[in-house]
Amino acid sequence: MKQNILKLGFLLLGLFLILVGYLSYLQVVRNPALASNPYNRRVQEMENQTVRGNIYDAKGVVLARTEFDGKQGRRVYPQGDVAAHIIGYVSDRYGRAGLESAYDSYLLGMEGSDSVRNFINRLLGKEQKGGDLTLTIDSSLQELAEQLLGNRRGAVVLVDTRTGALRVVASAPGYDPNRLEEYWPVLVQAADSPLLNRAAQGAYPPGSTFKIITAAGALADKPGLADSTFNCQGYLMVGGYKLTDLAVHGEVDLKKALAVSCNTTFAQLGLGLGTDSFYRTFKAFGLDQDPGPGIAVRPGTLAAPGDMIQTELASSAIGQGEVLVSPLHMALAAAAIANQGVIMHPYLVESVRDSSGAAVQSVTQRQWLTATTPAISGIIKEGMIDAVRGGTATAAAVSGVKVAGKTGSAQNPHGKTHAWFIGFAPAEQPRLAVAVVLENAGSGASVAAPVAGSLLATALAKGY
Amino acid sequence: MTDGSYGNYISAVAKSAARRKGRRVEWKLLSLIGVYAMIGAAALYLGSAGAADRKVVFACVSVVAAYFLVSFYWHYSGYRGDCFLLPLVALLSTTGLIFLFRLDPAYGVRQFFWLLIGLGVLLLTTRLLIDFRFLSDYKYIYALAGLIALILPVFFGQEQGGAKSWLDLGIFNFQPSEFVKILVVLFLASYLSENRAVLTVGTRNLGGLALPGPQEWGPLLAMWGISLLLLVYQKDLGAALIYFSTFLTMVYVATSRILYVLFGSTLFAAGAAASFYMFDHVRARFEIWMNPWPNIETTGYQIIQSLFAINSGGVLGSGLGLGFPGYIPAVHTDLIFSAICEELGLAGGAGIIILFMLFVYRGIRIALKTTDEFAALAASGLTALLGLQAFIIIAGVTKLLPLTGITLPYISYGGSSLVANFILLGLLLNISHEEESDL
Repeated sequence: MKQNILKLGFLLLGLFLILVGYLSYLQVVRNPALASNPYNRRVQEMENQTVRGNIYDAKGVVLARTEFDGKQGRRVYPQGDVAAHIIGYVSDRYGRAGLESAYDSYLLGMEGSDSVRNFINRLLGKEQKGGDLTLTIDSSLQELAEQLLGNRRGAVVLVDTRTGALRVVASAPGYDPNRLEEYWPVLVQAADSPLLNRAAQGAYPPGSTFKIITAAGALADKPGLADSTFNCQGYLMVGGYKLTDLAVHGEVDLKKALAVSCNTTFAQLGLGLGTDSFYRTFKAFGLDQDPGPGIAVRPGTLAAPGDMIQTELASSAIGQGEVLVSPLHMALAAAAIANQGVIMHPYLVESVRDSSGAAVQSVTQRQWLTATTPAISGIIKEGMIDAVRGGTATAAAVSGVKVAGKTGSAQNPHGKTHAWFIGFAPAEQPRLAVAVVLENAGSGASVAAPVAGSLLATALAKGY
Repeated sequence: MTDGSYGNYISAVAKSAARRKGRRVEWKLLSLIGVYAMIGAAALYLGSAGAADRKVVFACVSVVAAYFLVSFYWHYSGYRGDCFLLPLVALLSTTGLIFLFRLDPAYGVRQFFWLLIGLGVLLLTTRLLIDFRFLSDYKYIYALAGLIALILPVFFGQEQGGAKSWLDLGIFNFQPSEFVKILVVLFLASYLSENRAVLTVGTRNLGGLALPGPQEWGPLLAMWGISLLLLVYQKDLGAALIYFSTFLTMVYVATSRILYVLFGSTLFAAGAAASFYMFDHVRARFEIWMNPWPNIETTGYQIIQSLFAINSGGVLGSGLGLGFPGYIPAVHTDLIFSAICEELGLAGGAGIIILFMLFVYRGIRIALKTTDEFAALAASGLTALLGLQAFIIIAGVTKLLPLTGITLPYISYGGSSLVANFILLGLLLNISHEEESDL
């Protein structure tokens, strides 16, 4: 019997050893799926113990801060719906989005010296604080852009061509992040998708604004084209299909073709360029990439090589067909022409400071892409200047400042054309590039160009 | 003759010295536990300022003092019980007390009183039942009493946490199964030691297998019935598991016949399988165990919250008072181990398991040292009972086994459980007391 008692002892000790082994597995081999499960409220609790940092605009205006009502912290957005898509939100129920999400660990003081400081504060039962963000956005310009969009659907992007600093990234319709939880069910189901950041996530056919890219590609391919002329008869036969133009433009050179937005000329240029060079140009302007400004940008798309037949290539060359890009991409394309072919890396966050005020991260301005050469960008710039001076984009003119621009009226399956405008100013010494799109609003010349003109005028007056 | 009595004298002196040394070891260990408990209480007190938390300091000081008083009383009354079991239990129970104050001071205060009552019951057990052998003579009387106590809740019981195993006694609720489990061990120890020879060899031969007659295995079959009764009518899966596994281990220890264990396990499995198909609550338990995730908001909530807590603990835990065990339902009773794992990490969780291993080690040692079968069976049965209960609930909260509603001995909140386990401790100590004096 002693033998059996001994066996019982070993059995029991063995069972406990299994427990120790399994417990080690559970606790040491951490399962990230358990920690991030929405029913596990520990991460949320940790956050509630921390005073989330503030978000400021370029002029120091508070865009987001945490207010305390007793012990419970509440995120407040004093500017309401201004820049809501960029700032994003934090919600217990609906997660997080925008910069609030991208810079979560900084705002919660979980990075750098803040992590040590907050660990000690936690042990001592003291208040834990996060760091602050300063954005490149100017909230007054942002608000103006949102007013100009009005209750139409669309987006506006304004970028400093010399630095890449994004001054306006507006999307309409918007929402008030202060009342997100209240309106969430409506926001999610609304047909006009107010939660969508159209400026970065929108997928629009660029229409005629895309012609500056086709022009850059064609000029790189055949530099002689700058001096040759094209005969526009008002239509072009491609692969048995008739591609009609808006007017019979007659004999035009490249600049004139840009200024009057001649479809026949650019379709021909696209066909002359060929598929490979067309793709190369698309890539050169970074249209196929997310430039990584701090929020997610939808990379542009176009027809796959297998589908890039002659008719598709001709349509793509004038920004139709399967070409889909975001307004932010088109603003950067305009910036490339403004900045002698160089695109500066776009950014939204000027600096990150920890809870003690020390800089954790500040932007180093750097070149992102070299889209084209100074010579080519110079030719296209002249065409764009002509477009505003006496072509399709006269409505974007700003008194006392020379503006360069290109309109677009992109056909789409959803009704009236999308009204586009891209451009930059001042043309001689460009500082700001802009892209405006208004969904199903009509022609770029009459709808989008005035929006860009007003915004450029105000921004330049403010010294940007 | 002269040599013999001289030898006896020498050994008596040596044993007396050893005994004193033993109690001294106990005091040393209790002093260390005092320091441990004070650090815990201080951490709670300093961590969260508030008048209510002063109670934790007072409670810890008083409980450690009460343990010392028990030890002093044993010292002066010449009690020779094992000197490591009391410190082990003291360590487990102060950990439980501190965690209860951390989780909900109201439970902490009540647990404090229950601990004092438990220590009083321990003293009474070591005094009144010191000649525990007489228990062997009345086995059928208290087997009957136990059976009645067990069945009462089926008719008059209250349902708590899904199990209908509670009796409302006016001022407090009382869970008979906690006490009856000790009676069952004593009954089995007595019964098995009496019928061991017959059960081992068998009285009749069935196709080459030697089997005992129905008068021998009849009572054992009754045990199987009681286990299933618990399972089905009281929905008390945990208690059923403990009863049955303890029963099987004792039968094996007494008879060395693995056949009985296999037969018993098969019967239990058959009963469990039948109840899986017949009773929704049993099926629900099983399904939650297999995959709780689809029911994360309802039936699977508890075990998943337990896993969240354990997983968040890591190696060293979040620190006492800095985790979020409040999300676990029933964290103060059955799932207190998950709270310990969250706040003290693997170090604390494995520490608790090691304490139970040491308890089992001492218990098995006592059982091995005894000279007669009843004491050996009783000691090994009580040890198995406690060890299996700790195993089943810890395995339950980690989802190694289905989660069942039983307490973690000496740690979980619960008067019935605490007092019953102190009686168990007293009986083990009494057995070790006897063997020390009989040698």
